[in-house]
Amino acid sequence: MKWRQTNGLILLLLPACAFLLLAGGSLLLAFMESVRGESGFSWTYYSALFDRRELVDSLLYSLIITFSSTLVSLAAGWLIVRSFYPFIDGNGKWMVWIPMLFPHFVWGYFVLLLLGQSGLISTFLLQTGLLEDRTLFPVLVQDQSGIGIFITYVWKEIPFVILMLLPVYLQLPKQFKEVNAVLGGSGADWFKTVEWPWVKPVMFETALIISAFVFTAYEVPGLLGVSYPQMTPVLAYEWFYSASQDERTMAFALLMFVALIFGTIALIGFALMNKRRMLLSKSSHRY
Amino acid sequence: MKKKLFYISCLIFFIVPVLLMLIKSVTTPWRSGVDLDWTSRGWEVVFQDSRVIESMWTTLLIALAVALINLLAGVPIAKALSHRSFPLKNTLEVILLLPLFLPIMAAAMGLHITMIRMGLANTWLGVTIVHLVPTIPYTIKVLKAGYDRIPQDMLSQGRMLKAGVWQAFRTIELPLLIPSIRSSIFLAVTISAGQYVLTAIIGGGTVLTMPMIYYPFLQSADDTVMAAFSIAFVLIPAAAIIIAEAAAMLVAGRSFMKRRGEV
Repeated sequence: MKWRQTNGLILLLLPACAFLLLAGGSLLLAFMESVRGESGFSWTYYSALFDRRELVDSLLYSLIITFSSTLVSLAAGWLIVRSFYPFIDGNGKWMVWIPMLFPHFVWGYFVLLLLGQSGLISTFLLQTGLLEDRTLFPVLVQDQSGIGIFITYVWKEIPFVILMLLPVYLQLPKQFKEVNAVLGGSGADWFKTVEWPWVKPVMFETALIISAFVFTAYEVPGLLGVSYPQMTPVLAYEWFYSASQDERTMAFALLMFVALIFGTIALIGFALMNKRRMLLSKSSHRY
Repeated sequence: MKKKLFYISCLIFFIVPVLLMLIKSVTTPWRSGVDLDWTSRGWEVVFQDSRVIESMWTTLLIALAVALINLLAGVPIAKALSHRSFPLKNTLEVILLLPLFLPIMAAAMGLHITMIRMGLANTWLGVTIVHLVPTIPYTIKVLKAGYDRIPQDMLSQGRMLKAGVWQAFRTIELPLLIPSIRSSIFLAVTISAGQYVLTAIIGGGTVLTMPMIYYPFLQSADDTVMAAFSIAFVLIPAAAIIIAEAAAMLVAGRSFMKRRGEV
């Protein structure tokens, strides 16, 4: 019986292990490409990265866009869920799903259509006479500071944040609110002892998914970016297809460097939170 | 009051963009001083372009294959993570989520040469395989949450009544998992249909999915055509969900008939 159970467990784990082999293997292959010098193993491409001015600028640029869009979409999504979660679960849920139907670049195109210099808003302002000339409309999309990219990500990620946080709020045990009230706790106590510990793990996970995505996805900056500065994924993509072998290897080194940073943050974060997560998942089984 | 506020903001931020795009796709370009006119040209250009039609089929085929493999890989591990205990379970769960926090572009570039060696580069199968990297972690997450909602007692009851593994799955777990399965198919399909870089690197420009055509279209087509093309992306998840529901009905219907036949 015991043997059969463990055997069954191995069967259950097998497909997932195949997947880990695919994902882990692909990263390993990418790493091997990144350290392949002219005469065998070499770290030089990693140090060469930071000699490139365009890369340093690109990292800073990406960091600002990633940090701001993650922060704003998390804050807005959280606020919406906190204030409206009873309605979202009912008839409101399908509305939140609508932006999820479209790929990111389609939403990016919509932002271009809406806020571009020849977009809907500038046309409308021109029609009504509030604007004398199109060129007076501020460059919001395909601009140097990445405002178009920021708007697209915030707009597209808010529904994602809502859908991630919604189950957490729906599962918040109602008795806890009564316990808090009976024990004379204030709203701040409720937040500190019940809501935040409950929300924190999902919040961390969501923040990490969004920031990793924004920092490394090509689609939106490929569409709405300018030629300088470029976001890191655009640079990596261009280097990968570059005629020079050095730049190709540097594309791998760049992505592995980014992977290392995000991977470390993820592992440390989850390790710190794992104990809490376990307690939460155990208590949520019994209701 | 609060309810109204929520619906209005949803309307403005989530529905109106789609509606505007829809209107844009059936009107002539909006310029000041020129009168607006209805036109079906946008949709005609999109649906008369044989490359677009072909790309829709390719996108749907790849998305469905991705969703199917996702379920086959996701259901077993979700069950193990939710209802079994084994050493390093929490660690395994985190590691399985890890691809969501890493640059998937690195995975595609890393696989590129191996795919060429194995003859999978520039094929839909190769693209399907690389699309598994960003989708399977979500499927595992969604299905694990689904399994978490199935009480252990219910599974024990099945075992007590001497249900085999397959019978227990079909009669207890599967019906309760349906909502989670639906969401994971939906997620896998939309993520797969929205991939540009992964498809470009592994498909090498030979596997033409909708995103592969969308980018060059942006350079040449006007806003009316682009708006129609943008809306057309909805067709992929819609078609996938209809196909999945039909398949589920077929399977459920057959097993239902068989059971009646046995009795």
